[in-house]
Amino acid sequence: MNAPLGSWRDAHDDAVLLAYANGDEEAARVLSLRLVPRVLGQATRMLGDQAEAEDVAQEAMMKLWKIAPDWRQGEAQVSTWLYRVVANLCTDRLRRRRGVSLDQIAEPTDPQPSASAGIQETTRLTALANALAQLPDRQAQAVSLRHLEGLTNPEIAQIMDISVRSVESLTARGKRALADILAGRKAELGYEDDEI
Amino acid sequence: MKMTKSEDQMLDDLFALRRETVPVASDDLMARILQDSIAARTVASTPKPSFWQGFRDMIGGWPAVGGLAMAGVTGVWFGIAPPATVSNFASDLIGTSVTVDLFDDSSSFFAEASIDG
Repeated sequence: MNAPLGSWRDAHDDAVLLAYANGDEEAARVLSLRLVPRVLGQATRMLGDQAEAEDVAQEAMMKLWKIAPDWRQGEAQVSTWLYRVVANLCTDRLRRRRGVSLDQIAEPTDPQPSASAGIQETTRLTALANALAQLPDRQAQAVSLRHLEGLTNPEIAQIMDISVRSVESLTARGKRALADILAGRKAELGYEDDEI
Repeated sequence: MKMTKSEDQMLDDLFALRRETVPVASDDLMARILQDSIAARTVASTPKPSFWQGFRDMIGGWPAVGGLAMAGVTGVWFGIAPPATVSNFASDLIGTSVTVDLFDDSSSFFAEASIDG
């Protein structure tokens, strides 16, 4: 795809969104190039499945296109809004995975038979995704935004519309819960227990 | 209960591994998203029908509205200008008390009830 035009380069996301709402087709392309990688990345890291992540990315962008005519300039950042939308769409999908025991985890879809390290990495990623699916939605979101997206607690607080203290509590409890879920699989995942 | 160091390290390692996941959006995905942007704007620009337009459509268009209006007007006309036969009956009722005997002596109801048993 062509690079976005120079005139858009310094425009804030919400200004470009306004232009899209007013009928500027180039604005849609600019926004897509800017936002889709972020959205797809967040969804892939949270779900551990690129096909599902692509569905989430498309759904999230569709919600953005639909809200564009009603978007109020200066009230919220498009990126903050999108983080929230993607997090909610992901936890919807993770919720559907609940009840599936870790023993029923699907085999990695693209194993590399000659690279045991690759298999182990895929297994680890799958284990994390399925463990995340066992968490309550808000804990899964807080942990993902903090440890997969690298956002700060104030940023997460804004995205989730909660206090910073609540974010700290959710991430701590979420990490604890993940550790409990994965505890029995440490050896299998190739992590030695240094406690004797 | 706090996590052990090894549990913390395991999680940090898993998180770091996951953070390395930086997918590339396919051309197909981008095309679908751009297509959605056009579709969403087309829907947004289609004027929505007003309430009255929806009501007219529901009852069968303007001819039905005309019929409704005629019925409404006619009903009002009946109320304020009743036919002559009706108006006599109405004036007889108004201003007089009317006693209706629901159970007169000839009623078979009481006749049956008086049977011993």
